[in-house]
Amino acid sequence: MKISDTHSPSFDEEQSLQVIKEMIQVSRQKLKSDGILFILWGWIMFIHYFILYAVRAFLLTNRLTKNLNLLVSILIPIGLGVTIYYLYKQHRRAQTYIGISLRYIWFSMFVCLVLINLIQYNVLHEINFELQHPIFMVVIAFAITVTGAIIRYKLIIAGGILFGISAYIASFLDLPGQLLIEAFAWLITFAIPGQILYAKRHS
Amino acid sequence: MFKDLDPLLHSQVRLAIMSILISVKSADFSFLLENIKTTKGNLSFQISKLKEAKYISVKKSFKGSYPLTTCQITKKGIDAYETYILALEDYFKEFRKGKGS
Repeated sequence: MKISDTHSPSFDEEQSLQVIKEMIQVSRQKLKSDGILFILWGWIMFIHYFILYAVRAFLLTNRLTKNLNLLVSILIPIGLGVTIYYLYKQHRRAQTYIGISLRYIWFSMFVCLVLINLIQYNVLHEINFELQHPIFMVVIAFAITVTGAIIRYKLIIAGGILFGISAYIASFLDLPGQLLIEAFAWLITFAIPGQILYAKRHS
Repeated sequence: MFKDLDPLLHSQVRLAIMSILISVKSADFSFLLENIKTTKGNLSFQISKLKEAKYISVKKSFKGSYPLTTCQITKKGIDAYETYILALEDYFKEFRKGKGS
């Protein structure tokens, strides 16, 4: 839409309706999620959990195990750094209520995960990872489903449901099996819908 | 007889600014300029008019060495925009009635 008048002369009602429609549409399109964070976290968590699985499931050399553990420990801080930078850059242009809601959901989810660990430690006097992973997955499934509902993207909602089912299946498995399921759950529910969203946005 | 349209909002650029700000919490000057595609001077002038009427609040800050102007719609602005939409709706209702009869 080209609004080139410099003195803003009055215009008719039809035109004003057109301006309202176009401006709302333009800002909605521009501020729509481009899927980058879904792709980023989908891959980061897939690599993270796949490495954790590989270290437990395969016989690896000491050196390789050490390097893989180092990679696991730096992946999430790198992802957090990139996410903060990306959100900071977006925040400069326009702040949307959807963005604010999503930040609250994911931050409160993170707090929930910490609380689950603390409660588990208080009750069991240890961290039982076989119990921790499925419960974490259920909380994450909830956050994914709500995210999908807020951004109105059915594939993410389906991903959240799939994540929840994976959590239930994981509860029947030992730790390496749980880690493998969680790795692929992140890839399928985050990276793939994110890639589709990104392709749609840039087509 | 339908309500009069608010003259402050019944202008292309000002209505465009308000239509963007109604759907976001806040937006900076460059975001508005990119979407409205008017001149910097005109946008600045129209923003100051809306600010004078207390329809929007304007926060000026610095990002590094660059000035950053952030606009946010106020409660008064939301009310005025809603009233404007209702008046517009009335106009189109009357228009359709007139066409139907």
